[in-house]
Amino acid sequence: MVRVSARRPRQWFLKAVLAMMLTQWLVGPVIIARADEPQPDPAGIATGDKTSTSDAGGNAFVVTEPTDKTAPDYAKNKKAFDDFQALAAKEPVAMKLADNVGHLRIATNFTWTLLTGYLVLFMQAGFALLTCGLVRKKNAGHLMMLNLAAYVFSFLAYWLCGFAFQYGGVAINAAPTNLGGTPTMDHFLFGGGLWGFLGGKGFFLSGPGYDAGSLCLTLFEVVFMETAAYIIVGAICERISFWAFILAELFMGGLLYPTFGCWVWGGGWLSQLGQTMNFAHGYVDFAGSTVVHGVGGFCAMALAVILGPRLGKYGPDGKPRAFPAHNLVYVVTGTFILVFGWMGFNPGSTLGSTDLRISVIAVNTNLAAVAGSASAMFLWYYLFGKPDITMACNGMLAGLVAITAPCAFVSPSSAVMIGILAGILVDAGVLFNERVIKVDDPCGAISVHGYCGWLGAVCVGIFADGTYGAGWNGVGATSYLGKAGQGVTGLLYGDHTQFFTQVGGATFMAVFIFGFTYIVFSLVNAISPIRVSREVELEGLDVPEFGLPAYAEDEIVNAEPEMARA
Amino acid sequence: MKRVEAIIKPAKLDEVKDALHAAGVTGLTVSEAKGFGRQKGHTEMYRGTEYTVDFLPKLFITVVVVDDLVESVVKAIADNARTGKIGDGKIFVSSLDDVMRIRTGERGRDAI
Repeated sequence: MVRVSARRPRQWFLKAVLAMMLTQWLVGPVIIARADEPQPDPAGIATGDKTSTSDAGGNAFVVTEPTDKTAPDYAKNKKAFDDFQALAAKEPVAMKLADNVGHLRIATNFTWTLLTGYLVLFMQAGFALLTCGLVRKKNAGHLMMLNLAAYVFSFLAYWLCGFAFQYGGVAINAAPTNLGGTPTMDHFLFGGGLWGFLGGKGFFLSGPGYDAGSLCLTLFEVVFMETAAYIIVGAICERISFWAFILAELFMGGLLYPTFGCWVWGGGWLSQLGQTMNFAHGYVDFAGSTVVHGVGGFCAMALAVILGPRLGKYGPDGKPRAFPAHNLVYVVTGTFILVFGWMGFNPGSTLGSTDLRISVIAVNTNLAAVAGSASAMFLWYYLFGKPDITMACNGMLAGLVAITAPCAFVSPSSAVMIGILAGILVDAGVLFNERVIKVDDPCGAISVHGYCGWLGAVCVGIFADGTYGAGWNGVGATSYLGKAGQGVTGLLYGDHTQFFTQVGGATFMAVFIFGFTYIVFSLVNAISPIRVSREVELEGLDVPEFGLPAYAEDEIVNAEPEMARA
Repeated sequence: MKRVEAIIKPAKLDEVKDALHAAGVTGLTVSEAKGFGRQKGHTEMYRGTEYTVDFLPKLFITVVVVDDLVESVVKAIADNARTGKIGDGKIFVSSLDDVMRIRTGERGRDAI
């Protein structure tokens, strides 16, 4: 089998980068919008006008002409339109003002979306600290480098094709009106109409992708993809080789995440099941319990299964051995940074602060976090006699993961309940992985993100109370379940269809993500093993892979250089 | 009474410990050490500058046994610490004048 030496990867990385740049220069000029297509607005001077203006209830200022002459309320709507046209002709200054207000609304939402996106970016630091603290000292540098490289390489893959795959067709079914609608992203590469499978516009973020509104969406969505990208580190660390990891990140950012992301957020088929198959509001995932965390967790699981457990993890009798965390200070600090970043993750998913549900989302998110930590701690104390610090942290993160899908649709009390369930599930999941199926997961990523991500999507179908989300995925804009203004609703509030849709969609995600990753990386592993050699694993990956120990002075690297002979 | 000291690779501790138990040794002391023998160090690069890694992590085990057990203990350590690759370590046997168990005040063979 071919082993890639330390020096050879340099050559093919260089070649890969040059190839990407060449392709962009050759293909870039071809990716321009035709005259009959919506034109991109890179300077941001044509985004946001009176059509973006709306009141507190979300009712548009501009009345559009009704197109369906057979609709029962056609006459009423036509009169409203004619009245508005007359008013617009009589008050031109008001119309100009409406243009300004509309632009300001979009600008407000841009600010919100970008700033919350930066908060999510900061979560990278939190996860790096968390995972670094949970592993052995000899791998501390390796963990930090994996987290850094995850950000670097998945981002590049997302620039190249990931965003285009995920959001190339978003304007068709799920235009982000809070950001001006991104009208240039209007084509599916595979599928079409209500059955979109992969987007096809915005490659290299050029042409239709080089648009102020579209790039605002890009920034926000790329940091979400980055979250899925670093989640896998938690399960594959301490034994994955760096080149295989880069491959995994390119796969995640360029294909795996954008595919499922297209199906749920990019206007793809899973989100449109409400219109196509009468499945309630279609598959709903507000901020990504499954789109982000489930994808990360189950991709991690597939890779961990292929890699196998760390050396010495399981004894000859199959009993697991403990590998204690080397720095609990990093673990807790990292957890707090993640909580703080989640204040961007969940509330930011409205894509606009003009949607005042953001306060409900923020409080729900925090409640689930603390309830998750408390329940995980108490259960662990009950089982083992002492509350484990790392499980208290995992419990907090589990609560956050589980509330991520339902945060906009539930009440604060439901958020507490969801957090409690997540804390129990993460404790059970960690013990299950360790003792029953014997999948070695150093940081508990599979339990926190995979299992609790699935739970989060299911909780939408149980606890959603209908106070938000009227018209979600194009279903029930004026009335749902017989009530005007009724939004996304779950089992406890009278909608069992949503529950079954959620269970089905979340389970499908787990199977699809695990299966796809397993097939691709079993192939890679067969060509060249993705695990480091036994000697490297025993020594710790810091020096063999990167040439530097994380704590150099703990290993006498050299007699102090200042004492060397002059 | 003899003192048997061994420098071994850290990865071999569990096997050596189990073998010593089997050989009848009742206690041992382990400390972390760094060292090298006839093997040279190797060089790494830090921000464009080379540095040498001379010292490798080792474990230093000390065991005190009665004279009759010395050979079986030396064999137990050697057989279980050996990997065949350079850096396996060394064993030192030296005479011991006296031993005392602090808790009870016993001296000599009774203190081992």
